[in-house]
This record gives sequence, structure tokens and C-alpha cells, in this order.
Amino acid sequence: MSMVKLVNVRKSFGDLEVLKGVNLEVQQGEVVCIIGASGSGKSTMLRCLNHLERISDGEIYIEDVLSDKRANNKDQIKIDPVTVQSLCTDLGMVFQNFNLFPHLTVLDNVTIAPLIVKKEDKKVAETRALDLLSMVGLSQKKDEYPSRLSGGQQQRVAIARALAMDPKIMMFDEPTSALDPELVGEVLATMRQLAEKGMTMLIVTHEIGFAREVADRVIFMDGGVICEEGTPEEVLLNPKEERTKSFLNKIL
Amino acid sequence: MLTEIQLWAIFNGTIVTLQIAIVAIVFGAVFGVVVALGRLSKNKVANALSWFYIWFFRGTPLLLQLFMIFYAIPIIYLDATGITFEINPMIAAFVAFSLNATAYLAEIIRAAIESIDGGQMEAAKALGMSYRQAMTKIIIPQTYKRLVAPLGNELIMLLKDTSLVSTIALFDLLRTTKTMASATGSWIYYIYAAAIYLFLTTIIQVVFDKMEKKLGIYER
Ligand SMILES: Nc1ncnc2c1ncn2[C@@H]1O[C@H](COP(=O)(O)OP(=O)(O)OP(=O)(O)O)[C@@H](O)[C@H]1O
Ligand SMILES: [Mg+2]
Repeated sequence: MSMVKLVNVRKSFGDLEVLKGVNLEVQQGEVVCIIGASGSGKSTMLRCLNHLERISDGEIYIEDVLSDKRANNKDQIKIDPVTVQSLCTDLGMVFQNFNLFPHLTVLDNVTIAPLIVKKEDKKVAETRALDLLSMVGLSQKKDEYPSRLSGGQQQRVAIARALAMDPKIMMFDEPTSALDPELVGEVLATMRQLAEKGMTMLIVTHEIGFAREVADRVIFMDGGVICEEGTPEEVLLNPKEERTKSFLNKIL
Repeated sequence: MLTEIQLWAIFNGTIVTLQIAIVAIVFGAVFGVVVALGRLSKNKVANALSWFYIWFFRGTPLLLQLFMIFYAIPIIYLDATGITFEINPMIAAFVAFSLNATAYLAEIIRAAIESIDGGQMEAAKALGMSYRQAMTKIIIPQTYKRLVAPLGNELIMLLKDTSLVSTIALFDLLRTTKTMASATGSWIYYIYAAAIYLFLTTIIQVVFDKMEKKLGIYER
């Protein structure tokens, strides 16, 4: 099954066109790493998928269901907010800056969305949250506030928080870029664990080694389009495009 | 020294002062949130209405607002219906001070909401929360600590501004003591008034400082 599909997606901020016709299809269980220079539209692409940004043109399908279709910034289908909301909660998102809720404990960070969005029973939500926290290795921190945790721990809580909504697809936007180098490994290990469990993942990252190891497919974005894509070996080791080569030279 | 009658008069004046300030701060905080959300709303009508509200109540003297409610509304009503009616001055004071405090607090609350990192709303939305859920569960609770100090300031301002109600036939703390001072020719009553104002504002200061510390527990 195709989990995510973008058809000719364009996105402009005013006069600035950031996505210039992106086509991408991600299959169930696939791990896709997205690389590319700053400003190439990687974050924007992810943010369009869960409607944090609305696309200007094109179509988006989540699990083969049309979730957005627009032309010239106008809706082409009637968007039913309930359907869109449930499609968007199938997409979990992890941010570069964690964005944990600072006024809530670790446990409450993980349970709040199931409680108020899914109206889950408190006991059920807490049991599940504790499972997720032990999966990311943080069950003993459940009563701490986020400010007491290291960056790596905060990011692992953020992963647990996203997983608590039972997403079918996890999106990571540079999840380790804000971390001290010695904390990167623990977050990548958690992500690797998810990949092994068969989670469909879209990961924007500059960790080329990690991409080589876990990605089924690597996408190189440049200037608002997908410039090159293929297996990690193809894109990272034997890039065909000049732009891919020069980008890799710069970051390696 | 004070006679028992004077003591009671000063006590009652203090109660009038406190009542008006407290009613206004509570009403102002609740409706201030509503007006602040209006100002932040993408809905043009809600935005314009709340802009107008703040513009009017911050842009005209509180005394004028008090006069409009206490004196002007009965006259307008008389002209329109031919029926005379009087507004209870205490009610008029509650309304005027509350409406005024709402305008000031709305701006304070709006600034506090805007100071919360945009990533918080995005994270909430990415988890499937509606705007309303994100506001009530995620964004607004984070403003509480930042609101305590300005809320305390506003309460202190209100407490002092209640002296304006002497113009609508109410005996607040200042007017009560001023009457005594004129009647006896002694300035000591002003000292009593100052002492009571200082006592009340100090309590407000202490209580709000404590509250601020308590609400900040999650910040390390
Ligand atoms: N809300 C916005 N309003 C205006 N311009 C925006 C907005 N969001 C992004 N942009 C612009 O869109 C372009 C692409 O941004 P985007 O964040 O998608 O790039 P990116 O590939 O994720 O880069 P980075 O590696 O720096 O995160 C940038 O030029 C950015 O300034
Ligand atoms: Mg980005």
C-alpha cells in the first residue's frame, strides 16, 4: 500500500516558490531519508503532508486517500476536517527543537494527545505511555519536566509522544541537528529500533552514515524538486547528478 | 484616635475599594482572554471587534467610562422610552472597572500568548489537536506564569483607581478619609488612608510573588 503520495506538489510563500512540483510515493514499511541543502524545501514538504502548511498546487494522498488537492491556492475538493484530522494523526512528527510541552511532565507530554484528541481512557493512555517510555529508555523520567532532561532525552520523549497517537507514518525533521554530538547516537538508536519494527519513516537528516545504514531509499532535494533518488548506494556513493555530488562533497 | 463610627466607616470604605478592584480583576482576566483570542483570530469580524474594544477602553479616561455608564445610560434610556431609572452606583462601578480592566488585560494576555514559541502550536497540531484544544491545553497554560506579575500590577492600579468612584456617590476608602479630614481639620486621616493602601498593595505584591514562583516549577 502506498502510505504517502505527492503528485505535482507546489508550495509558494508569497512570491517565493519553495516546492516546484514534487512527486513522491512512499510504500508501507519503507524508510526514506531526505537530504538537501538548507532552503531546498525539505521541511516544507513534510509540513505540507500533515497540513501544517497548505500546498499551493497538487495532490496529497495519505494511505491512498486524497487528503489535499489544490490549484492556485484554492481547494479543489471539499476538505472534511474530520477526515483530514484523522489522516494527519496517522502522520507522527518529530521536530528539530523537540517542542515538548514544558508545563507538562514527561508522562503527561505522552498522554495528552491520546487523552484529548482520541478521548482515550486515562489508565489505558498511561499504561501505553509507560510502554513507549520504556521503549525509548526513559520510564524512570516519567515525572520529570522536560527542562530537566538532556536534549537527547527530550527528543526521545518527543518520539514517544508522537508514537502515542499510533501513527502509521513517522516524519522526522532533522531530529538530531539540535543535539550535542555525544547525544546523537541515542536518538538514532531509537529511530533504528522503529525502522526495524517496520514503521514507515520519512527522515530529513544530515547524518549520512545513518541514512546509508537504515534507508531503503534516499532522496536528494534541490531548489524545490527531487533532484535524485535511489538506494543509499546509488545516491550517496555513486550519485549521477552534479548537484548531488557537490552537495555530498560539501557535507562529508 | 479614631472613634468606633469612624473605624467602621473606614472599614466600609476599604471594602468598597476592595470589592471593585477584585470584581474588575476577575472579570477582566476572564473576558480579557476572550478579547485577546479575538485579537489573535483570523476571523476578520472578531479581530475588528476586539481591536475596537481595546481601542475605545484604553483610549478614553476611566472616569469618562464611569460617567457614561452611571449618568449617560439613564438619560439615553429616558429619552428613548420615557421611563426613568437609576443605576446602582456600585453596579456602575463594577461594570466600568471590569470593562476597562478587560481592555488592559486583553493586551497583556495577547502579548503573553504571542510570546509562546510557535513550535508549541505546531507540535499540538501535529498531534491532531484542534486550535481550540491547543490553545486551552497547551498555549494558555504556559502563559500563566508570565501573566502573574502584570496581573498583580493591574490589580494594584485598579485598587488605587477605585478612588474615582467618589464622583458617583460612592464612599470608597479615600473619600471616607477625606470627608473625615475636612470635617475635623486633621491630616492624620490621610495617613490612615495611605497606610491601608500600602498594606493592601503589599499583600498583593507578596501573594503574586508567591504565585509566580509556584507556577514556575516546571522551569528547571
Ligand atoms: N512560513 C514561511 N514563510 C515564508 N517563507 C518560508 C516559510 N517557511 C519556509 N520558508 C522558506 O522556504 C524555503 C524552504 O524552507 P524549508 O524550511 O522547507 O527548507 P529546508 O530544506 O528544510 O532547509 P533547512 O535545511 O534549513 O531546514 C526557505 O527559503 C524558507 O525561507
Ligand atoms: Mg528544515
